[in-house]
Amino acid sequence: MAGEPKNGLQCAEFDALLNEALDATLTGPKLESFKAHARVCAVCGPLFAEADAGRRWLKSLAEVEPPVTLMHNILVATTGYESQRVAVRAKGEASWADPITGWLRPVFAPVLSMSRQPRFAMSFGMAFFSLSISLSLAGVKVSDVRHVDLRPSAIKRTYYETTGRVVKYYENIRFVYEIESRVREFKKVTAPAVPTPKEQNKEKKDNNTSGQPEPRQERNYSQGENQPVLASLPNDPPVGTVTTYRRLS
Amino acid sequence: MEDAQVVARLVRRCVAGDVVAWEEIVQRYNRRIYNICYRFAGSGENAQDLTQEVFIKMFRTLSSYDVERGAFMTWVTTITRNLLVDHFRKSKQDRVTESLDTTPSEHEDAMPLSEKIEDKAPAADMSVQSRETGELVHTALQKLSPELREAVILRDLQDMDYKDIAKVLKVPEGTVKSRINRGRAELARLLQRTYRQVM
Ligand SMILES: [Zn+2]
Repeated sequence: MAGEPKNGLQCAEFDALLNEALDATLTGPKLESFKAHARVCAVCGPLFAEADAGRRWLKSLAEVEPPVTLMHNILVATTGYESQRVAVRAKGEASWADPITGWLRPVFAPVLSMSRQPRFAMSFGMAFFSLSISLSLAGVKVSDVRHVDLRPSAIKRTYYETTGRVVKYYENIRFVYEIESRVREFKKVTAPAVPTPKEQNKEKKDNNTSGQPEPRQERNYSQGENQPVLASLPNDPPVGTVTTYRRLS
Repeated sequence: MEDAQVVARLVRRCVAGDVVAWEEIVQRYNRRIYNICYRFAGSGENAQDLTQEVFIKMFRTLSSYDVERGAFMTWVTTITRNLLVDHFRKSKQDRVTESLDTTPSEHEDAMPLSEKIEDKAPAADMSVQSRETGELVHTALQKLSPELREAVILRDLQDMDYKDIAKVLKVPEGTVKSRINRGRAELARLLQRTYRQVM
């Protein structure tokens, strides 16, 4: 193969120029000699054709797409750290509540602008006050509303929690009425003095042991949350105000 | 793709413990490494495992990378190639062990390429046809000896220059060129034989 020169080019030389020829970097007289050798050499001619065809086949191969999980897996395997992209995606899911705040804004905008007028301000103030009292009795803190998690799963959970609170609220109301009637009776018997928190506490305790309390209701609520609400009834300003209002009306 | 200064800065940040810089490196090179592994090892599953191994190795040895001694791409490709060699040796051993238990006809490799092409011969449209052609070329590539296979992958699929391939494979440039040409020619012969049998 390497022996006899054909068209001024030996087979070994042809072989050395093969890459350049296929890369299209071979020019001038060298290219001409190369072509001439390929035409006449029974070994080099087919070799050139095959190498050219092989190169074309290879070039026809498209780049493959790595699996979408690859990068994440690499990052977890190397650093144990999750891709920022994953974090960004999670952030995108959290903004699910944004459209809702978007709808609510135009709905409440006229109400809010009206509430700024002095003649409505008082009524709105009163309405908001009683609403916030109702909510706080139900165990919902108005200041926490903006933190409410609006993901579907959280809404479901919040629904059941709130339902539980509302049930508890109505039972508490019943309880408050009982306290009120006992207080009224107590006031009739004793001096016209306003009952001290201590006394009310005592009343409540009596009530708690005497009758109504359903053990089921207490189990529905965590001990830490339920008991203090009942015990701190007279000390808690909003609740205290409610009882005073009702007593006055 | 590779801006030497940018990459050098990224590597320095990585070595200093910057995870964001590491993520950037993974982002830049995962596709390339995955493709080299896929074309060499043949399956997506192997390619995924191998790519992950390459990055684990890179992560552990990143501080040993010397900017003065060559491009980061060459360093990365060398790690990839070394792992592919290990993988090839291991799977060859596995095949030897396996062949003691199975008859050659049960072997996937024993199936002639012409039989594979016969199943896929009637192509409905051009995209299907080109995809199937791609599969045939990919299958034929697996038939090449690992020395020829790696040479053509680095040259024709990864567009690396001869000098860098020589560095990665640790052989003279002349040997690289010769392997590339032999690899290309061998691949063409395999595919021609296949098509001749089908026609
Ligand atoms: Zn010749």
